[in-house]
Formats: sequence, structure tokens, C-alpha cells
Amino acid sequence: MLRERLAAMVAAASDGTVTAAEALAATVPLSALGVTSLAQMRLIDAVESEFGIEFDLSRDGVGVLEDLGALERYVAGAA
Amino acid sequence: MDARFSGGRSGTAPLTWGQRAIWDTVRRTVPDDRYFNFGRILPVPGRARPLTPERAAAALGALVERHESLRTTLGAAEPYRDGEHAGPHRSEGREPRRILDHAEPYQVLAGAGTIPVTVATGDPETLLGELTATAYDYAAEWPLRAGLVVGGGEVTHVVLAFCHLAADGLGAEVAVRDLRLLLMRGSVPGPPPPQPLDLARWQESGAGRRVAGVAAEHWENEYRRIPPTMFDRPSRQAASPPVWRAKIVSRALDLAVQRIAAVHATSTSTVLLAASSALVSAATGHEVCAMLPIVGNRFRGDTVNAVTTLSQEGLFVLDADRADLAGLLRAARPAALRAYRSAYHDPRDRDRLEAEASRERGTRVHPYCCFNDMRFTDRADASHDEATVRRAMDGTTLTWPLSQDRLNCRFCLHLTAEPGGLGVSVTADTRFLSRPSMERYLLDLESTLVAAAFREVPELVG
Repeated sequence: MLRERLAAMVAAASDGTVTAAEALAATVPLSALGVTSLAQMRLIDAVESEFGIEFDLSRDGVGVLEDLGALERYVAGAA
Repeated sequence: MDARFSGGRSGTAPLTWGQRAIWDTVRRTVPDDRYFNFGRILPVPGRARPLTPERAAAALGALVERHESLRTTLGAAEPYRDGEHAGPHRSEGREPRRILDHAEPYQVLAGAGTIPVTVATGDPETLLGELTATAYDYAAEWPLRAGLVVGGGEVTHVVLAFCHLAADGLGAEVAVRDLRLLLMRGSVPGPPPPQPLDLARWQESGAGRRVAGVAAEHWENEYRRIPPTMFDRPSRQAASPPVWRAKIVSRALDLAVQRIAAVHATSTSTVLLAASSALVSAATGHEVCAMLPIVGNRFRGDTVNAVTTLSQEGLFVLDADRADLAGLLRAARPAALRAYRSAYHDPRDRDRLEAEASRERGTRVHPYCCFNDMRFTDRADASHDEATVRRAMDGTTLTWPLSQDRLNCRFCLHLTAEPGGLGVSVTADTRFLSRPSMERYLLDLESTLVAAAFREVPELVG
């Protein structure tokens, strides 16, 4: 469920450039599918607001924005 | 003629962070603060024609009813309770623009009033020039100056001049989009837009202070390690007047950056921010480059369609010891995200942290190095071929469109979309970066990125 919710948030943050289905099926980084830095900022804001967490934006930390599985583990671990 | 508005709420609140940031800048720029006036020209859409001045004025009134920032002025204190305020604070009998004495004025929202509309014939650009020619009286004048160009018995253009306290470039785009809908349909669909009064109250709340705290932490940490200022060595080639702007318009650079962005799965804005920073490092000898990108701050649901000034500076810090563009961009992406998040900050926090860092380090800490991407679209496209891009370099132009005495910065890089390609200008203080060095900087930016667009093998992703 969390994974699907996050995929929907990726779709909303990218204005549909990447659909939820594409995010769920992705085998490459989300940025390669068209998730821009603007969309990443929207995603960060949406996830932080909904789950009450705060992203680590260090170089290693931002990797979770590129991979739905990693994002799911991060949110599940932090929430 | 007048545009009338009524039926809206009124009230007062502290300034939002964005209003406060531009207010500080305005006060530092007085008496030349008309520099911040800007505007938009809306050709009347075909579906709204023929348009009478009366209908145009009614649409302007509806626009001002919809976006509270366009009927918000500044007040020295909190003199009005909700419902009591009916218009700008007239300054008859008093010295005009006394509001400029106040570092922390209030925003004062009026529920009803009339906005003068200038009706003219001829060139809309001329009318816009007239409407933006003088500085605003921030307490005594509405922040929107409106004009209509008439010809052949109908309105052909609506001209809007904005006080920068009421809107930034993206906010003005929202206003123009909504005005267009009001002219064509008489209404704007969707929920009411976010308003600065509510934003100010949220920013003062616990949730707002938490967001401010995250941003402040970034400023605090980076201010301890960045060079106190980027352009710190006298150029020994000061020009007269000291401040100059050099500008290139380059199709080649536009195409090269589009290709790099596509190949590296990033935006042209990030590519240009990273490359500009690396070149500042090369020009100044500082291995760590600190740059202040102007960030739109429209990432959040409560800001996206707001007509107000949200843009603020973020702090972008890049270690320049990257051998190749791929490495540079790998570092630049998270650095850009940190910068974007730091841009949504309370200017009072930043002022305090700046003062503390300056005291601790025994020297003024301020990068005086800024970056403003003023384009509205960002296109990535890997298909451009090398021969085409290199040929396009022959068409690059370099001009010196501006010189002046004062600048509250030492190096300002602006990106604009021009008919002939990507516009990149550097406005610099020649006491720290000479005119020949400014020219070299811009041409190096072009040649470096054109070469990089075709030299590097794309990284495998995944």
C-alpha cells in the first residue's frame, strides 16, 4: 500500500510526466524517466508533509528519491 | 477610468518571508527602487474580442478581487482591525514614502476600492514603460498599475505593471493567465488561490517555524565553511562606471545544454548552475563555490498558484574538484536540492546567521555571487548533432547592455530565453572582475559546455 501511495505521489509531483504505473515498474532511476529537480522538490514536500518525516538531502540521502523501493524503505523506517 | 473591486475580506498580517526579502532589497536600493518594477502585456485573446474598455476594467477588478496581493499595501504598524481598512494609506499632508523608514511594516489588505486604469493608443511597450517609470509609494498606492491600449474602437492589449512586493515573475504569469480566462470566460475555474495573508500566518505558526528551521540549518552549516566572499581579489582594472553587464545570446549554448540535460537526466537549469559555479571557482581560485540561486519557491501545494513574491535566494555550495562533467553533475544535483530547500527561509534567520558567522570568522560572510534563471521552460533534448551546434557558435553575439554606479552584489548571472538562443548575462563589479574577464567568463561557459555536450559518453543509468 505504501509503495502504491508513493507511486501516486511521484505521478502528482511530476504532473503526470511519470505515471504511477511507470514509477512502480521502473528499472532505471526516476530522474531518467523524467522526474526533474522541480518534481523532486514537490515530492519531498508532499512526503514530508504526509508522513511527518524530514529528508536527508546529502548526496547519499537523495538517492532514495531515485528509486521507489528505496523511498518506501526510507519512509517506512523513518515514519 | 477605474477598475473597481469589492466584496473581499480585509485584514493585516506581518510580511511573508518573500515580501520581507524583497522589502529589505528595496530599502537598500532606494532611491533607485523603480529598478524592481516590472510588467506584462496581454494581447486581448481572439475569443474576447471585440473588447470594450468597460469590460476590460471589469475583468481587472475581478482579477484584483481574486488575488489579494494586488490590493495589499504596506502599513507602518497594525493600525486596522479586520474590516476597517478601505484603501491605501493616503499620504496627503505628510512626507511621501515615509514607509521606507520601517524595516518591518505590515501588509494591509483592503476589501474594496478603485484602481486607476490608464487608457492609451499606440505601442503597448511605451505604455508599459510609462507605467513602470516611477517607484511605487508602497503605503499610498495600489501595487498594480493597469493600462489599456485601444485601437479601431476596441481594446487590443491590457498592460499590467507590478510592484515587486505584490508579485514575482512567476506570480505575474499566474495573474496574466487568470486575466486571460476572465476576459474570455468571465471566471477562473478551480479553487481560490493561496493568499499572502494566510501564507504569512502559516509561516509564523509552529509548522512554518519548523520549515524555517530546516532551511536555517543549511545556511548556518555552509556559512561556516564557504569562502567569506567569492570575488575577493581586486581586478586592478576597474571601469567607469564600476558596474557593467556583458551578455551573450547563443543558440549553440542553448542546444548544447539541452543535450547535456537529456543525456544526464537532469534539467538545463541544474547544468547551467553547476557549470557556472565551476567556472566561478576557476575564475576566483576558490575550490568551494557558493552561489545564491533565486528560487521560485512554488514547490508546495500552498504556494503553487499564488500571486505574490515567493522567490528568494537559496545557498548552493559546490566543491569544484570534479574532473568531468558527469562528476560535477552528480554532486550538483543534491547540492541544488539543498539550495532549493534553503530558499524557503525566514530572512530574519538568515540575517542573524550571517551576522553570527561574520563575527565568528572575523570577516563579512556573504557570497555576493548570484544566479537567476528567468526562463519559464526547461527543455532537454539529446538529438542535437555536433556539427549543427558548432556551426551555431558563429552566430553568438556579445553586447554590453548596461553600466551603472552601484550594485548590491559583485557577480550576478542571469539566464533568459531570447529569440536568438539562450541569453546569459553577467552583471559584475569591475573592481573585482574586469570587463575582459567578464567576456572571457561567458565565452568559456559556452565553449566548455559545447565541448562537454559531445565529449562525454553518457553514464549508464540503473
